[in-house]
Amino acid sequence: MGKIFEIRDPIHGFVTLNEWERDIINHPVFQRLRRIRQLGLTDMVYPGSMHTRFEHSLGVMQVATRMFNHIKERRSDFLKSELHFNDDGLRRDKVLVRLSCLLHDVGHAPFSHAAEGLMDKDQLSGKSYKHEQYSAAAVDFLMQDVIENHPLNQNYHIKAKEIADFLNGDSSVGRSLLWRDLVSGQLDADRADYLLRDSHHIGVAYGYYDLNRLIATLTVAIEPDNDSPVIAVEEGGEHAAEALIIARYMMFTQVYFQHTRRAYDYHSIESIKALLAKSKVQAGKEVFPAPTSKENVEEYLKWDDWKVLGLISAGEAGKNGKIMMERKHHRAVFETPETPRAEDQEFAKEIQDALGSKVAFVDFASGSWYKFEAADVPFLLQPGHTDEQLTTLSTISSVVKGLTTVNRTRIYVPMGKKDEARETVAKKRKEREEKR
Amino acid sequence: MKITFDIPWTRYALIAELAKRLDGVNPQFGKTVLEKLVFFLQEIYGIKCGYDFELYSYGPFDSQLLGDLDLVEHWGGVTVLRVNNSFGGYRIQPSEKVDSIVGKAKEFIEDQKTEKALDDLVSNYGAMTARDLELRATTVYVERGLRKKGEYRSKEKICSLVSQIKPKFDFQEIEQAVLELKKRSHIEFTD
Repeated sequence: MGKIFEIRDPIHGFVTLNEWERDIINHPVFQRLRRIRQLGLTDMVYPGSMHTRFEHSLGVMQVATRMFNHIKERRSDFLKSELHFNDDGLRRDKVLVRLSCLLHDVGHAPFSHAAEGLMDKDQLSGKSYKHEQYSAAAVDFLMQDVIENHPLNQNYHIKAKEIADFLNGDSSVGRSLLWRDLVSGQLDADRADYLLRDSHHIGVAYGYYDLNRLIATLTVAIEPDNDSPVIAVEEGGEHAAEALIIARYMMFTQVYFQHTRRAYDYHSIESIKALLAKSKVQAGKEVFPAPTSKENVEEYLKWDDWKVLGLISAGEAGKNGKIMMERKHHRAVFETPETPRAEDQEFAKEIQDALGSKVAFVDFASGSWYKFEAADVPFLLQPGHTDEQLTTLSTISSVVKGLTTVNRTRIYVPMGKKDEARETVAKKRKEREEKR
Repeated sequence: MKITFDIPWTRYALIAELAKRLDGVNPQFGKTVLEKLVFFLQEIYGIKCGYDFELYSYGPFDSQLLGDLDLVEHWGGVTVLRVNNSFGGYRIQPSEKVDSIVGKAKEFIEDQKTEKALDDLVSNYGAMTARDLELRATTVYVERGLRKKGEYRSKEKICSLVSQIKPKFDFQEIEQAVLELKKRSHIEFTD
């Protein structure tokens, strides 16, 4: 069994780990997460928001393990008879899930999601890379030795590439894809941890829900319409699942998409862009190198909050760096309702045209990393009985059924143009009312 | 973040157009069928729909698409009906503002390439059940993944990977789907 270590955690009490996991945590790629803040510059609005991806990653591993253990114990027969698992397979998958959760964020850029828009494009698909792909590449290129050659791995023979494939959702992981819902799904351990952790540090109550009850009602079932296995919540867990979905909605509208916080996302992106252009990481490009080689990933990982903040402090990040230091951020002068009608969207376009060159940037809820989309959750009725039936949470929850996708749009102008811009907006609103 | 305003009308119009075209064609046109058809449109027919599908045990999926469906419903472009209590018991139907939503991205929808792709999509896959589409979408995802990594692709390898992800489908059924997709030139492998 080996030695077990415990790390104190403000959300889960203790996070427990073995010597193998401790060595992985001590690897420089993981230690870098101490220098990546969980919510970027959210402290400009909520001063307590100083926590990092380091503690969140430990928390995700802890929550995912509890979820996995519960499902395994509750549905052991089902996993074996319907999905062909055996005890050894489940033991191995648990280790795969733990390590994948631990490492899922190692590829984050400085200020976490804010800099996601500065990732290079995949030449084949034309789409920008995502932090998950940088995480997978960092694991694959840089952590092979610490993952594969530890004595505790002799029982599992887990390869770094396998963890990378799991994080990327690659088909080569086969039936283990079932557990991907625990890392990236509607009720995943990532969300389960960050809602509670962010609320705790920021000092808001919006993200709280009953984690213990949620875990105690997790199960696995088959979608009858397409014969696919899914992680679901069973009867008795409806209110815990509802609470988590509402927590997401509240945290999105009150914290992640808060208007000033989003302005600082913009300023940090522009600052990093200016720094990248100066650094000549890639000649003529204002993006991070693609996660396609060991050298690129090493170069990418040199960028963390400390480095960026140091350069900003030294005056290297241009006007946006200065704005951040003086807290003279751009101001939102117009916003649509949370769920705008088509005409609201078109009115926003009219406002933008009227403001012309005063517009600094336009922000969309759908373009934000922490989106709130109308979500549903597989829900198992009469679990364990012959008339067991998989449905969706919205079928039995009018609260979940009533929540719609948040699609708010905001228009920002520089601080000095705020009053003038607000006058233009007021004039356009009046014209609109008169037309009605 | 964007400097200018850019409403993704093409995404919304596509959902509305599919609701129109599948009305009366696919009695199972719900959320699962929508996910798989848009995935095909993007992967097989090369239409830039703007989605990022990822693989789960329930096949390729992008939650953004369901978010967009919710908005199109909110705007009166489609109605998402609950027809029974089963997991997939939703039906998407065109609603009173369907043409107005399609009209917002008229150029895209009426573009020759998009039109041809939609015609072929509906003719090849429009009437399939959610289960059949699920199997085929997973197969296409698996084949594309192997292709992207430059790995050797044989019928056996593709069938074996799909079978691991979809343990409730028998091997013969998977093999049949693989051969059918190859016949349509929607996947490639070495015999």
